[in-house]
Amino acid sequence: MGFFEIRNLRKSFDTVSVINDFSMELVELTLCCLVGPNGAGKTTTIDLITGRQKPTSGTIMFIEEDITGFDEHQIARRGIGRKFQVPAVFRDMTVRQNLEVAFTRTTNPLKNIFRFREPGFAGKLDEILTLTGLGPRLNVEAGILSHGETQWLEIGMVLMQNPRLLLLDEPVAGMTESEIEKTVGILNDLKKTNTLMVVEHDMSFVRRIADVVVVMHMGSLLAKGTIKDIEADRRVREVYLGEEA
Amino acid sequence: MNLFHNVRAQWLAYAVFFIVLALVPLFVGDDVFLLNQLSMYGVYAMLALGISLCWGFGGILNLGQGIPFGLGAYGMAMTMQMQTQDEYNPMPPFMLNNSLTELPWFWVPFGNTTVGIILSIAIPALFCAIFGWTMFRARVSGPFFAIMTLAMLSAIGTLFLGMQPYTNGANGLSPPRSLQLGELTVDPYSPGSYWVVFGLLLIATVIAKLMTLSRSGLVARSIRNDAERVRFLGYNVAAYETMIYTVSGIFAAVAGACMVVLSQYVSPDQFDPTFSLMMVVWAGIGGRMSLLAAMLGAFLIQGGQSYLGDELDATWYLFLGTFFILVVRFLPKGLVGLVESGLGRIRIGSKRNDGDSAASEVSLNPQPGA
Ligand SMILES: Nc1ncnc2c1ncn2[C@@H]1O[C@H](COP(=O)(O)OP(=O)(O)O)[C@@H](O)[C@H]1O
Ligand SMILES: [Mg+2]
Repeated sequence: MGFFEIRNLRKSFDTVSVINDFSMELVELTLCCLVGPNGAGKTTTIDLITGRQKPTSGTIMFIEEDITGFDEHQIARRGIGRKFQVPAVFRDMTVRQNLEVAFTRTTNPLKNIFRFREPGFAGKLDEILTLTGLGPRLNVEAGILSHGETQWLEIGMVLMQNPRLLLLDEPVAGMTESEIEKTVGILNDLKKTNTLMVVEHDMSFVRRIADVVVVMHMGSLLAKGTIKDIEADRRVREVYLGEEA
Repeated sequence: MNLFHNVRAQWLAYAVFFIVLALVPLFVGDDVFLLNQLSMYGVYAMLALGISLCWGFGGILNLGQGIPFGLGAYGMAMTMQMQTQDEYNPMPPFMLNNSLTELPWFWVPFGNTTVGIILSIAIPALFCAIFGWTMFRARVSGPFFAIMTLAMLSAIGTLFLGMQPYTNGANGLSPPRSLQLGELTVDPYSPGSYWVVFGLLLIATVIAKLMTLSRSGLVARSIRNDAERVRFLGYNVAAYETMIYTVSGIFAAVAGACMVVLSQYVSPDQFDPTFSLMMVVWAGIGGRMSLLAAMLGAFLIQGGQSYLGDELDATWYLFLGTFFILVVRFLPKGLVGLVESGLGRIRIGSKRNDGDSAASEVSLNPQPGA
């Protein structure tokens, strides 16, 4: 049995069909890049996996369990963490508070009423700060961070959750070249302990991180393989060249 | 760092507040009616505390706080009424006038004082838990939730008014004797009652304050910031909202029970929407983001009402309404916002940060991702 598997996923909004019979699977401890032109349905796929949208039909399996139609928090608790395309952090809270709330060992509201410290938080915080370099910005409100820093913060929040599967929707959008460089390093490190799915259309970035590439087009699977296979694939080139370069 | 956000300074302010309140009976002297009236301010403060917790801290605007308040009040009134019945006279007189032949089943448990007092709090708590969970599960929030609470309040008020044989309708219940606890008679005109009411207020305040400082406070703050995002961290937002709404309801229920002990009277007026709106006005004017400010808001407005309200009559409401609009427009954090910006000018070296009052405005329509 697989670690993570999507079978015959479909999603329609009213009459518009956005995901059409899409299937894929992930091998544990690998990094899969989900690529495809704008509007291909990549974000919608992540919405369906994380429970933000409910599929019209199809199943999503995660570690031997059918999680199709679960609520967002139930899916998150099973170990699927998500970074949004438009970075979503708590803008009125400090960087530290953002990371603290994402450290979700205890999610039960009754247990959290009189809980002031989460054991293990300090250690995890150090680890994440070293990784993201947000240390000097710890007591700054998240709303005033630069775009790149905001991306980092959200990646840090996902890591705080200690997820087994990370879904990152366009994590390097708006980052400078050196920031991208750093992200590549981190993602390659994370592969050793986590399974990742990264949405991205910058092929040079994909080339540096992907074990497997899945190409989506108009809500369906167009191609799947190593980066070499994909770049050689004629249909993929048509789709990309047809759109833009 | 602003002293206003210093947690130690906040605890100190609470301590001063309660010490001053505790000393009040020593200065009132023999005027027991005044003392009784002042005890009632503890009830108002408890209600304001609940609103501050729910609206300021939880971001849940609740216009139906009269529901747990009224239910708690009726529970206590029924308990006190049953204390005056005995085996020869098992039924309250109004039931006989309404030609009931038997004590209704839901009155029976109130024959036992302990059970009755527990039910006065447990029934409103259960109501809030069920109603809150139903609404929040369905992701009813913001103004929609506020309207639902208001509708529910009117419905329950109408129910109590209409069930004449069981509730004595518009006349309400006026238990003829003070509450008996074992051998002890709780004299509503004594300093003891005053201290008990404010003691309960102290306990509720400490619970509320700890909640705002705990991890659940952090989660609540995130929910105010962006409820949608919080779900993806693994928190059940509806459960948090239900918890906050229910704790706030329990405070209101305790306030209702205390009110009846002090006044020996309850009527469907407790479910009057005007009173529930008034609680929101207290917290809004004082400052809903601060528990203490909301309580002081209650003192200010209720004080103004009892001293100016009679003289000004309807003009009082006109005055209050205008004042409320001005505060909401120019001081979104309430009058305490003035204190906050005043203290902001004084720089101190402390690095400790953040209590319940630091959050800025809630975005109305948070949308993560695209
Ligand atoms: N809530 C929605 N209602 C209607 N159409 C939607 C909705 N969300 C996404 N879509 C449509 O689904 C398609 C795929 O969108 P999306 O998954 O965001 O693409 P990608 O992330 O691959 O760029 C787009 O055509 C978009 O307009
Ligand atoms: Mg997208």
